[in-house]
Amino acid sequence: MVERRKHLFASLLHCCDLELYKQSRGLEDPEILARETVFSVSEIEALYELFKKISSAVIDDGLINKEEFQLALFKTNKKESLFADRVFDLFDTKHNGILGFEEFARALSVFHPNAPIDDKIEFSFQLYDLKQQGFIERQEVKQMVVATLAESGMNLSDDVIESIIDKTFEEADTKHDGKIDKEEWRSLVLRHPSLLKNMTLQYLKDITTTFPSFVFHSRVEDT
Amino acid sequence: MILFRNGNKTKTLNAFHIISLLEGFNLSSLFEEKKREEKEEIRFATTKSPETMVAKLESVATEMKFMVDKTGDESSLRMKRNKIGRKGRLGIMAEIWAVAPSLVVVEVKKSSGDTLEYNRFCSKQLRPALKDIVWTSGYESTPAGVVGCIN
Repeated sequence: MVERRKHLFASLLHCCDLELYKQSRGLEDPEILARETVFSVSEIEALYELFKKISSAVIDDGLINKEEFQLALFKTNKKESLFADRVFDLFDTKHNGILGFEEFARALSVFHPNAPIDDKIEFSFQLYDLKQQGFIERQEVKQMVVATLAESGMNLSDDVIESIIDKTFEEADTKHDGKIDKEEWRSLVLRHPSLLKNMTLQYLKDITTTFPSFVFHSRVEDT
Repeated sequence: MILFRNGNKTKTLNAFHIISLLEGFNLSSLFEEKKREEKEEIRFATTKSPETMVAKLESVATEMKFMVDKTGDESSLRMKRNKIGRKGRLGIMAEIWAVAPSLVVVEVKKSSGDTLEYNRFCSKQLRPALKDIVWTSGYESTPAGVVGCIN
């Protein structure tokens, strides 16, 4: 009975997509997400507060679209960013152009200081593999370096950039095939742990104080 | 990786360092209220050598009554102001990265203390003191600080 009513309600919604409705329904079961991510239940709840804030910025539909994501990152929706696009795509595991809370939480879990380093290595590899070919090519590296320098307001001459990339590949491309595969990425990162610095957000450790949630669960146990 | 004179190993940047450490990819702004431009980080490029930079930063620090702590690795400098401010002693950390033998990037951040004091320190004391060593090629200072454009 309840199911049918829910179904009717869903079809009366502006977005008649039941999947979308489910995705935007909000924090149903923090325990499940807590079990499947690095977060505790209270951290999931705090994360949900952040999610609500971000997802209501443009359209208040319980979902983060690309524009809201850009707004949250850059405090302006006027900024295009190679990385914001890439990150959004990686968060968007359902590939439907919007982020539900589950996708948001699961992706951010990788950035938690306590997340396994293998997850961080995997995520960063996929991030830099712009064309998603399973390896990082020279052209992709150059594109990212140029974009990064531009965003920082720094200009380096093409010669300098090329020589930086030469040296990078010299060290990273141990199989000498002009590309960096997952294995080579892994060894590079294990040799230079600071390369994963942007894969950890210390903020996530303090999230329960930054985003206090006023949900009370009598039966919650934080492990 | 590049080794400098006296075997002094300054951190060298490979392409992925540039990508991961500079502005390009950083999700922490999801948690911050302020616009990126208002963040208290100064980043600039210089053609001075890493050793010169360290020496220069040390002399600036001493002049401004900061105590320098060099116990960390050779390419970062920590300093703490002698007098106690609103939220304890103002602490600054400077990291020095070698992009190429004659091209060095310096990043200065607040490591402790009051943000307002840090901002005041940066605009009134630090930036003027560093003006002559920052590499510029006619670009205006951006609100984020003086950044270098190298060609």
